[in-house]
Amino acid sequence: MQSKMKESDPILEVENLSASTDNLPILKGVSITVYPGEIHAIMGRNGCGKSTLSKIIAGHPSYNITNGDIKFLGENINSLEPEERAQSGIFLGFQYPIEIPGVSNLEFLRVSTNARRKFLNKEELDTFDFEELVKEKLELVKMDNAFLSRSVNQGFSGGEKKRNEILQMALLEPKIAILDETDSGLDIDALRIVASGIKKIANTQTGIILITHYQRLLDEIKPNYVHVMSDGKIIKTGGSDLALELEKKGYEWTDNYIKQS
Amino acid sequence: MEIIEKIKTNKSIVNQTEIQRFCIKKLQSSPLPNPKSELWRLTNKSKFSKFLDYSVNKKEPKFDTPYPKTSQNTIRLIIGENCQIKLIEKKYSIQQLSEDELFNHIKEQISFCDQNENWSDLLNLSLSCTKNILGLKINGSKIPPIEIFSHASINSLNAKTLVIFLEKNCDIDLLQVNLGKENSSLSQSTFFFLKENSSVNHGVVSYGEHKSNLLNSLNVIQQKNSEYNLGSLHFKFNYARFEIRIKQTSGNAKTNIKGMQITKKDEQISTYTKIDFNGPNGFLDQINKSLADDKSHAIFEGSIKVPKIAQKTDACQLSRNLLLSKFAQIDTKPQLEIIADDVKCKHGATISQLNEEELFYMRTRGITLPEASKLQLSSYFQEIISFIPVSKDRWDLLDKLLNDN
Repeated sequence: MQSKMKESDPILEVENLSASTDNLPILKGVSITVYPGEIHAIMGRNGCGKSTLSKIIAGHPSYNITNGDIKFLGENINSLEPEERAQSGIFLGFQYPIEIPGVSNLEFLRVSTNARRKFLNKEELDTFDFEELVKEKLELVKMDNAFLSRSVNQGFSGGEKKRNEILQMALLEPKIAILDETDSGLDIDALRIVASGIKKIANTQTGIILITHYQRLLDEIKPNYVHVMSDGKIIKTGGSDLALELEKKGYEWTDNYIKQS
Repeated sequence: MEIIEKIKTNKSIVNQTEIQRFCIKKLQSSPLPNPKSELWRLTNKSKFSKFLDYSVNKKEPKFDTPYPKTSQNTIRLIIGENCQIKLIEKKYSIQQLSEDELFNHIKEQISFCDQNENWSDLLNLSLSCTKNILGLKINGSKIPPIEIFSHASINSLNAKTLVIFLEKNCDIDLLQVNLGKENSSLSQSTFFFLKENSSVNHGVVSYGEHKSNLLNSLNVIQQKNSEYNLGSLHFKFNYARFEIRIKQTSGNAKTNIKGMQITKKDEQISTYTKIDFNGPNGFLDQINKSLADDKSHAIFEGSIKVPKIAQKTDACQLSRNLLLSKFAQIDTKPQLEIIADDVKCKHGATISQLNEEELFYMRTRGITLPEASKLQLSSYFQEIISFIPVSKDRWDLLDKLLNDN
C-alpha cells in the first residue's frame, strides 16, 4: 500500500465505524479524518470506546467491524492483519505496553524496524547497523543503552515503558501514530521527555491521534482538533479550547450535552 | 515382543555378563511393567509395544556424530565405539572403570530395585553388553568439557549404559546426546555417583528421527556438599520416556533441574522424576516445561520425598506447560510427600497457550504472526537451553527447535 496520494489527501479516514466484541457493541458510528501534519486529541470518560477505537484501527483480532470503513492512505484496511497495517505505517502506542519476558528489547526493535523497512523497500539492518540507529533514537527519549539488553518492557517502570513506546515510534517512522493514554502514569519530567520525543518525530507528513484524559499532555503538544467521545460515538469536535472547556466543566457536561442534542 | 520372550526364557541372550544375568533374573517372573501402576498408566500401550518390537542389534554401523568436534578442548566419547580412555593430566584424570568396579557400582544400585519402578534400568542392563557400557572415574578440576553420544541404529533396539563416578572435589561439564534413528529404539541408562564436594553441570539432549523411540533413565546419587545441575531437552520421538531418580544420601546437597519436552504430530514424551532427600539441609530447584502441538501427548510426573530426617529441606518443583493445539494433551502432576516438619517446599503447575496480547503487541510492530510465535517460543525455550552445558556455542539447539516447531 505505497502512497500514491497527494499531500493534501487524508492519511486516515474512519467513516461511520461501528464495532463489537462478543456481540457487545462498543463503537456506534465513529467518524474521524486525519490529514498530514495534523494532531487530533480524543478525550472521554473511561469505557467510552477511545482505546477500542485505537485497537480496531491497529487491527486487534478480538473486535468485529459491524459497519463502516477504515481507510489508510485512501485504501480500505478493514480486512488487513495487524502486522500489515503496522508495516504500512500505522503505529499504536499502548496504554499498558506488554511485557514479553525472554525476548530481548534490542532484537524486538530490530525485527520490527526491519519489517517496516522491508515494506518501504529500504535495506534491512544487521545488528551492528541497527545498534547505530537505535543509539541515535535513544537520545530522543533520553533512554539508556541498558534498556536494549533487557527483555521487552519487563521490569520497566511505567515511565520507561512509555518511553520505550516512543522509541519504537521513532524507529518505525509511521505515517500515523495513535497514542493511547501515553501520558498516564508519567511524572512531570517524564511527560516532558515523552512529549518532546513525540514533537520531534511528528512532521508535516505524519498524523497523530492522542488519546488522553488530561489537559497536561495537550499543554505540551497542542492539538489541531479535539474530539469528545461518549458511549461509542464522537459527540463533539472543536479546537484546542474544547479540551480546556472539558477540563473546566468535567465529563458531566458531556452527559448534559447528549441530553440537549 | 521378541525381547520379552528372550528374557522370559533366558535362552537367546548369549555370552551374558554377570550384570545381565542378575537383571534378567529380576525380570524373569514379571518381564513387563504394570500398566495400571501410577508410573505406567498414561503410557501409550501401542507405542510402548513398538519400542520393544525391534531386535537387539549386535553389529552396529559406524556412527557419524552430527557435529564436528571443533574444540580440541572437548573430550568426545561414543558409547559402543571408542570406550577406551585413560587421560592422566596434571590437574585431572579420566579413567575407565574396571569391570569389577562397574559391576559393584551397578549391583549396589539395582540390588534394591523395584521391578516396576526401575523396569527401564533392568531392561537396559539385561540387554547392554560389555561393549555398550561406558564407565568413567573422573578426578580433579579444570577438566575439559565432555560430550558423550549414544545412538540407535535403523530398525533395531540398542541398549547403552553410562556410569560416571565423580571423586571428591571434582567438577565437570558433561553433555550427553542421545540420538534416535529412523525406526529405532534406544534404551539409555545413566548412573552418576557424586562424592563429597563434587559438582556437575549435566546436559541431556535427546532427539530422534521418524518413528524413533527412547527409554532414557538417569540415576544420581549425591553425597553431602555435592551439586548436581541438570538441563535436559527431549524432542522428535514417536515415543520417549525420561526417568530421573536423584538421591541426596545424607542431605546437605544441591540439585537444580531444568527440563523440557516438545511433542508434535502424535508423539508421546514423558518425564518422571523422583527426588529423595535422605538428610537435612537438602536443596532442590526444579522446573519442567512441556510443549505439545498437533495431536501429541506430553506427560510430567514429579515426586519429592522429604522424610523426617530431612529437616530444613528447601525444595521447589514447578511444571510449566504450553498447549499449542486443541487436540494436544498434557498431563502433569508435581507431588510432594513431606514427613519432616521444618521444611520449605512448594510445587505448582500451569498449562497455557501462547499469550494473545503479547502476540498482538508484536504484530502491531509489523512482526508477522509466525515470527511473533517464534519469538515467544524462543523465550520459552531459552530458559532451559541456557542451562544445558557445552551446547551453548555450537549446538544450535534453539534453531533446531524453532525450525521444527
